[in-house]
Amino acid sequence: MPLNEILNKDIIDLNVQGSTKDEVLRYMASVLLKNGYISDEDVFIKDIYEREAEGPTGMGSHISIPHGKSFSVLKNGIMIGKTVQPIRWESSMSDDGFQDTQLIFLFCVSADAEFARNHMMLLSELAGKLGNDVRVAKLSKAQTKEEILDLILCEDDQLGEAEVLEAEEIVDLDIDL
Amino acid sequence: MKIVAVTACTAGIAHTYIVAEKLQKAAEELGHDIKVETQGSAGIENELTAEDIANADVVIYSHDIAVRGASRFAGKKIVDVPISTAMKQPKSLISTIEKKLGAK
Repeated sequence: MPLNEILNKDIIDLNVQGSTKDEVLRYMASVLLKNGYISDEDVFIKDIYEREAEGPTGMGSHISIPHGKSFSVLKNGIMIGKTVQPIRWESSMSDDGFQDTQLIFLFCVSADAEFARNHMMLLSELAGKLGNDVRVAKLSKAQTKEEILDLILCEDDQLGEAEVLEAEEIVDLDIDL
Repeated sequence: MKIVAVTACTAGIAHTYIVAEKLQKAAEELGHDIKVETQGSAGIENELTAEDIANADVVIYSHDIAVRGASRFAGKKIVDVPISTAMKQPKSLISTIEKKLGAK
């Protein structure tokens, strides 16, 4: 059952050490290495940065979703890390281009398309769940591994209510139509 | 309005799917019908049919890479925005389209 591989308490860490984005990514890569998800930390990190260079992975609400495809990946998964301190992270949500990140979903996906294929449907379904503002608001406050897993796995209508951080103010956009 | 949308981001792992969900939620909240096709690493999912496209008042491209099968949308009103727009302001995007089309 791929779900047990993709979401696994062994790769949830609520005490991610480091004070910079680079330090926390390296810390998280070391956890993935220890748990047999990747074969090489440096290769994995390099591939994550390749994706980082293409655009911000901060998604607001103190959450970031670094991801990339890497041949160093042995098992597809999503590592979840709660940082011990806020980390400055490039963001698509803020005006100055940065946010303080405290919860990181590090997508660990094989660059081997054949190998990743079996898992991509599940990974995409889980990624889509982060498009729900209530879930995201609750995740940013979650304190235990169980709580985090429950919030990700539950259906939208089981989420209940939460005050949404950074709720969108509806404005007119400058678009061509 | 009846909206169809396509999402496609560079890696095809995360933003494609998050933005699809955000557009879905925003449209529903503002009282519109929407169907979102995702073009990512999982391939094309929730593929738009010829009928979906024919019935749509507007097409949203939310993308950082080329939309596959763009010829399907020939002759339609298309709103073309980067992934980040729908990531950050999905409701504003839909409400602006609504105003510009004068539709509900």
